[in-house]
Amino acid sequence: MWTITCRRLKRDRRGISNIIVVTLSLVIILAIVSNVVLWNYEMNQLDWEKMKENVVITNVERETEPQFTFQNDGSLTAHLVSLWIINSTDHQHYDINVFINSAETETYHSSDILLPTGNYTVKVVTERGNTAVYSGS
Amino acid sequence: MLSSLLMTVIAVAGMSIAITATYVITDGLHDNMGERFIVEDVWFTGDYDQISLYLRNVGKVSIKVAAVYVNRTGQSFTPSLELEQGKHDWLTVPYDWSAGSVYEVKVVTRRGTIVVDYYMSPS
Repeated sequence: MWTITCRRLKRDRRGISNIIVVTLSLVIILAIVSNVVLWNYEMNQLDWEKMKENVVITNVERETEPQFTFQNDGSLTAHLVSLWIINSTDHQHYDINVFINSAETETYHSSDILLPTGNYTVKVVTERGNTAVYSGS
Repeated sequence: MLSSLLMTVIAVAGMSIAITATYVITDGLHDNMGERFIVEDVWFTGDYDQISLYLRNVGKVSIKVAAVYVNRTGQSFTPSLELEQGKHDWLTVPYDWSAGSVYEVKVVTRRGTIVVDYYMSPS
């Protein structure tokens, strides 16, 4: 069977270019579908996760070192990566690394963080790009 | 015989070019779709002459800031900011701002992703 097919191909070579074009066209279509559609699906997933995330700063206390209480009201685990202490004269940025499970509350404190006197705003940013704010004095 | 061989070579060459073009185009689309970034903080600093923006790359590819607009006017900025995935840094825009005013700040990346918002300067 294979020998007969090879003989036919040798005898009539006019069809080979058509076969190559059709085969490679299918490869191109497959490349487009896999690269664009699947990546688009992954990015939609990322956006969906960002929308589902909901972190709240419930309390900030001035103890010996400032203490921040975060609550995750979303359905996904939140990863807090950035903390801001903002007042009228300064914007202090701190890199943090806090994970909060869904529906849980986490307390964070650090001796490196300085709370200013007077009015201030605390802002926390998640790895997915959501922000929670808290105003205190 | 020769014409068949020639047609085969032309078909292979043509489709190779098409596959390469497809790869280049889809790779560009892939990067465009994967860009996400946020402006974490906007700080009206200096002696009423500078706006500092803190950017964070929350996407799947690296980003490079191509332009910053304040009230729809292009501004110079420093440094030439390129952020890898998950990285963050300050961007400084020299701009004469006045207290208690609202400014539209727009950041555009090299691939055309735009983040725009309104920010009020301190009184």
